[in-house]
Amino acid sequence: MTPARREIETLLLTSFAAVPLYATQAVGPLPLVMFHAVMAGIIIRVAMGKSPELIPAPVMRTIAVLYIGFYIIDAAFISRNAIAASTHLVLFIATYQPIESARTRNYSQRLLTTALIFVASIATSTHITILLFVIAFGFLMFRQLMYVSHIETVAALGHEYVEPPSSRAAMFYLAGTACVAALLFPVVPRVRNPMMQGLAGSLTNASTGLSDTIDFNRERSSTPDPTIVARIWITPDAIPFFTPIRLRGAIYDRFSRNQWLQSAKGFRELRSRDGVYRIARPVGLKRAVTVQQHLMSNTRLYLPSGAYALSGVPVLFEGPQNEALTTMPLRRSTDMVTLDVSVARETEPLVATEPRVVNYPVTKEVAALARQITGGSGEPLAQAAKIEQYLSTKFRYVSDPATIGHTMTVDHFLLRERRGHCEYFAAGMVALLTSLDVPARIAGGFYGGRYNPLTGYFVIRREDAHAWVEVWNGTRWTTFDPTPATLRPGVSQSGFLRAYATAIGDSVTYYWDRYVLTYGLGDQVTIAANAITAARDAVQGAKARLSEQLARLRTPQTAAFIVLVLAAGALAISLAGRRRPVFDLLASHLRGFGIVVGPAMTMEEALAELRAKHPDAARELEPLVALYDEERFSSHADPRRRKAIRRRLAELRT
Amino acid sequence: MTATPPFAFDGVVRLTKVGTSYVLFTVVIGFAALNTGNNALYIGFTFLLGCLLLSGIASKGGLKHLRVEFAAIGQPWVGRPAHGTLRLRNDSRIWNVRDVVISGGELEPVLVPMVMRRSTMEVPVALHFERRGIVTVKRLDFYTRYPFGFFLKKRRIAINGEVIVFPRLLDNERERRRMEATDDGEVATNRLGPGGEVHSFREYVRGDSLRHVAWKKSASLGRWIIKQTEAEAAKSVHVVLDPFKPRGVSDEAFEEMISAAATYIYVSIGQGMEVVLSLPRVTLHSKLDDATPLMRALALIEPAHEPFAIPHERHAVVFSVGRHDDARTA
Repeated sequence: MTPARREIETLLLTSFAAVPLYATQAVGPLPLVMFHAVMAGIIIRVAMGKSPELIPAPVMRTIAVLYIGFYIIDAAFISRNAIAASTHLVLFIATYQPIESARTRNYSQRLLTTALIFVASIATSTHITILLFVIAFGFLMFRQLMYVSHIETVAALGHEYVEPPSSRAAMFYLAGTACVAALLFPVVPRVRNPMMQGLAGSLTNASTGLSDTIDFNRERSSTPDPTIVARIWITPDAIPFFTPIRLRGAIYDRFSRNQWLQSAKGFRELRSRDGVYRIARPVGLKRAVTVQQHLMSNTRLYLPSGAYALSGVPVLFEGPQNEALTTMPLRRSTDMVTLDVSVARETEPLVATEPRVVNYPVTKEVAALARQITGGSGEPLAQAAKIEQYLSTKFRYVSDPATIGHTMTVDHFLLRERRGHCEYFAAGMVALLTSLDVPARIAGGFYGGRYNPLTGYFVIRREDAHAWVEVWNGTRWTTFDPTPATLRPGVSQSGFLRAYATAIGDSVTYYWDRYVLTYGLGDQVTIAANAITAARDAVQGAKARLSEQLARLRTPQTAAFIVLVLAAGALAISLAGRRRPVFDLLASHLRGFGIVVGPAMTMEEALAELRAKHPDAARELEPLVALYDEERFSSHADPRRRKAIRRRLAELRT
Repeated sequence: MTATPPFAFDGVVRLTKVGTSYVLFTVVIGFAALNTGNNALYIGFTFLLGCLLLSGIASKGGLKHLRVEFAAIGQPWVGRPAHGTLRLRNDSRIWNVRDVVISGGELEPVLVPMVMRRSTMEVPVALHFERRGIVTVKRLDFYTRYPFGFFLKKRRIAINGEVIVFPRLLDNERERRRMEATDDGEVATNRLGPGGEVHSFREYVRGDSLRHVAWKKSASLGRWIIKQTEAEAAKSVHVVLDPFKPRGVSDEAFEEMISAAATYIYVSIGQGMEVVLSLPRVTLHSKLDDATPLMRALALIEPAHEPFAIPHERHAVVFSVGRHDDARTA
């Protein structure tokens, strides 16, 4: 690789480091575009074999001096943000350094500046794709660092450029570094200093479920947004009874100037008992679900229909609108709150109420239509069911309201257009029920969600925003949904592969959110506590198993067996101790003939002495002594020989 | 000539400028991560730490498994680079070693771009010797900044390389001319030319034919004496080196005398002459243009503090310091 090509690679790396800043919007687009334009100019010059001095160095130095003053102005008046101003400064330095590199060797400093831009990029990013950026940047940076290392080594020896390390080496070290980083990430202490809060993006897109009003005076569009609103865990046995899920967050029970509004209600802090807030009275089957959600619309909670108790928030308020539940804001808008919610098939208010009919200005045509639909039925739920069926079968659902091309009133929807999106369906049904003096209201929130088989939760996205109807049956609110069931949000079917691809994407996002973005001190404490508990349990389990084994052995039979084994062992040891060596036996035998075998005497000498005194006895003993010698000086011991000697000696003694 | 690279240092590891900047940068990012609790910064921070850790492990792990030995060393002369070969073996199963600088002692620093893991390679090296005699290369220093240049790691490897360094050859043209003039002048006139007649006598040298032994002279002197015919004498020169170093004579002067003798022998052999070198208690004979035995003797000779009586013929060329007798000196 030529130095020019290497220089281009360095410039590209610096440019690449700033790319995520476009998405994170930590700095405005103008400085970024200027930065990349200058870098592109320098790259083109270098590629053409010219000096990187796009702007004459003296001019650049003058600008650099002036920038010191501009930095203060930028921080105080233009960006009004020290971090943004500092990022601008670093971007400027990154363009200044290649121009200056023609005169000074500042390769290391340039890499440092590039690293600073990289940090600015990742510090303001929350999306998982930042990992790909980190990997790509790490690879290119490692190549550059290896190049610098190589150049400095060969330069110290006065050599020319030899052979810098390859991309393969960079990949190897990148993989190693990533592994080490993955091990370090969970254990690096999370102790926050309140001096400077972290940067985080916010969820700014709005859709039906997040609106404070349903305004039919303006055209609405509900664009699909992949941002996850909530994840809901339901035990498998409860899934048939509590799905499709409805996350309810807003009640529109007032009408004014073609707008559906939420009734205002003051804040009221709810009391908890052991951390559990009771918000309704359950009716029918009950189950527990876990809801993890982003807080939206002024920290409002979106709870599954049928929720009657919840825990997981430090405080809970009722208000500021009717039946709205809110809590304290989280530290960062990217954080999610996790709630343990108890749900029932239906719920009744804790305090008995008598809801009034909505103040919708019913026209004669609408009232006539309502009567036509319901026929002679006088029971509210039966009337509601007939209207629901009528709307869902006779009216056409339009997923994108913008396709209608104009605004319309609810009457216009019911009497002429007969097509619209979920809000029109819900509003139309409420209007029709109002004409029949049945208390009804629009409920806003999210509907359906997609089950993720890999992680076992339902994912609710912004595109699942929906509106439906609640009808008062005399004791409680009952849910009706006039939007055609197959056309409601969150129920669209997709192919097997796509469904699994979506599930995998959901899972990755979930783990990224849960174990990377929101990983904190609490998780570390939990992991440590779990580890300690597991270790303690393991020790206690081992102790218990040992005690159990010992207890099993505490029987008379076991005790007798142990005593028996010990006695047998002791006896064997005793016998082995008493078993005299063959030499001693022979010496003892000879002592009987008056021959004392001294310590320096061999058995042959003793036999010679015996032969002189008792020739007959010596003849008898000779084979034994020969056998003894054979045993004594043999390369391998033979128990049979020893036994034969003992047996023969015993015979001689008798 | 010094044989240490500019970055040589005592110790095992040194933080480079790039490394210092990197560590400071890591500390700043770590502080920012702690301060903000931003997990994206934590990712960057742990990545930086991982890189630092891996860098240390890689450079240490790479050098740790290097084995080295001299595969060959060419004829070493004082003042001239001796070319040799180092055999490097990387026993590591994981780490390739790159950008290693080997230096130490007489070795001229050499850059090894790469030694693959579990492989052996030979590296040409140059050695510079400052004195003649037996020189032992006891250790070599291995330096590397690899992979990222944060650390300069050093490993000292013991090595057993023993070489005999030949004396310095005088490169000075004047000295060479002097040698040639002596050879072409006086000595030549005293040679009688080819023939069967005995021209002179000299000490026996191993390898001499017994047919040339002067038996009577040997018997009278009590040692082996060889007859030289006219033809042999015409193409040979007898060099006598007296190692006596009287008081007051500097080591430099003694070494200069050794160098002069070595140069004389070298030039003579280069002109196709046979050289007989007489030293106290030993006489050596050059063979087939090979000066190695003679140079080895000159390399190993030590100054003597007592005078020696070295028998030599009349036309022998004597090299000595501080003593002048009737023998002709170069």
